[in-house]
Amino acid sequence: MSLLANRAAPRQVAALSKRRGRRGPRTGWRGPLLVAPFFVFFAAFGAYPLYYALQLSFIDWHGGATYRWVGLSNYTYLLTNPDFWGALGNSAIIWLLIVPAQTIGAIVAAGALSRAKLRFKRLLRTAVIIPYVTPLAAMAQAFVLIFDRDYGVVNHLLGMAGLPSVEWLTSTGWSKVTIALLVLWKSSGFALIIMLAAIQGIPGEVYEAAALDGAGPVRTFWSVTVPLMRHAIAFFVVISTLGISQMFLEPYVLTGGGPYNSSTTTGLYLFQHIGASDLGTGAANTFLLVIMVLGLSLAAVRVFRESK
Amino acid sequence: MTGLRRGAGYLLVALAVVVFLYPIWWMVVSSLKPGASILNDPLGVGPFTLDNFRAMFGSVPIGQALGNTVLVVAVKGAITMVLCPLAGYGFAKYSFRFKELLFGVVLLTLMLPTLTLVIPLLLEMKQLGWINTYQALILPGAVDAFSVFYMRQTISQVPDELLDAAAIDAAGTLRTFWSVVVPVIRPGLAALAVLTFFNIYNDLVWPIVAVNDPARQTVSVLLAGLATNVTGGSTSSGFDLWGQLMAACTIATIPTVIIFLLVQRHFIKGLLAGSVK
Repeated sequence: MSLLANRAAPRQVAALSKRRGRRGPRTGWRGPLLVAPFFVFFAAFGAYPLYYALQLSFIDWHGGATYRWVGLSNYTYLLTNPDFWGALGNSAIIWLLIVPAQTIGAIVAAGALSRAKLRFKRLLRTAVIIPYVTPLAAMAQAFVLIFDRDYGVVNHLLGMAGLPSVEWLTSTGWSKVTIALLVLWKSSGFALIIMLAAIQGIPGEVYEAAALDGAGPVRTFWSVTVPLMRHAIAFFVVISTLGISQMFLEPYVLTGGGPYNSSTTTGLYLFQHIGASDLGTGAANTFLLVIMVLGLSLAAVRVFRESK
Repeated sequence: MTGLRRGAGYLLVALAVVVFLYPIWWMVVSSLKPGASILNDPLGVGPFTLDNFRAMFGSVPIGQALGNTVLVVAVKGAITMVLCPLAGYGFAKYSFRFKELLFGVVLLTLMLPTLTLVIPLLLEMKQLGWINTYQALILPGAVDAFSVFYMRQTISQVPDELLDAAAIDAAGTLRTFWSVVVPVIRPGLAALAVLTFFNIYNDLVWPIVAVNDPARQTVSVLLAGLATNVTGGSTSSGFDLWGQLMAACTIATIPTVIIFLLVQRHFIKGLLAGSVK
């Protein structure tokens, strides 16, 4: 039956399309119906709450029955608040501690791995990606104990090497570093997977051409392979920048944002409005974060387009 | 020379494996050690005891939290796995007015970070009286932009001829989808399922806001709460709790590691789906 149907297919499809209009058999109300659930969910749990929050961002409200219109003062309060800028600065420093090292490290590691004929390559890939799938809430907790000043493993090892203990979680200088270490530990496997896939996607002829030009392996890597990976690199940098801009759990568990707000990130700062029940300011902060994140994304897309 | 380089290579590989797995190993080993020996001998393996697990099950409602997580993963995951592929099918294979514009909305919401929705959603849930309910945990984010986008990309690769042949057999939309599209995109669906599982299981940003009642909290919320109990105060009061904490974290972490090892291939495929475009 299917054989017959297939043989007769083109004519019948043409007839079918004619009956249902010129654009082919899959037209009409079914398409909109199929995509409708996404828009129902988006309207209910995306657009509407954002609209409601936008209204609220102009209101002074602490969750009770009384509220009053305050115009832009929630925004000006934030924009003139040193804590807001401090959190932005902390996030920027954490970004600097993570993204350049992680991106370059992953590129180099992927390059070395794709060339080296090592056994255990698969084992390495698996081991490095496992932290990425573990629950952050659990592993952040383990890091609190591992980096504990008095009894943690890390300071224990430093002591065995004759080095002084470090106040990983309890000093303004190190708190951001420890947060960066947790992120590096947890997400470097993701970076490596992205870069490995990018390298494997490069066609072999490119290397043959480079070899004909007499380029050595290191030169070939930096001047041929890496430029061809720029799409993946741009993707990874954008993803990790967005991730860092909304990071809150890492400082929440590791340091509570301290000491002295030294590790309060933009995400944790936003989150703290909920605890303080200061929802009007929280809503205003949300829109400042939206503007910042969309700005960063568009800038990244633009940079990427130009480099093409 | 090459032997030396090879040796250095293996040494680096071994170092990387140790660095990336040690925190998990340390967590599991510590959960099995008496509190005093975690503090005095952090590197030691043993002596072993199950006391931490016994005490932890007695003092923390982790069984209930695991039950809640399983419920949320099952229901929310089912909604995602039914509605997102269908929406992707609509975008990939149907023509209708404003399709490009509507798909543009999907792409735009892809850029909207989850955290920016937290306070707006919290306000909405308060309005609806949904705080501390399962629907608050399940519905927001159940049909997400990434899944729709990924399914659209996957289903675009199904040849139109297959769908046309089904149309001749007068198969309806859902039957065509089930008997023609699903068998072809099975690997993509597997990747989506695995990714969805990990996203929901590990999600914390929204659950921590949506529920504060212990009867409704998921495992991640429970763990984050334990954490603040210990780090919030001075650590000295929490010494006895170290072992119990690591026991709770071990219980939450081990399922993710085992499931990952079983479905590794699909997981990596799903991860790369976001980057290949």
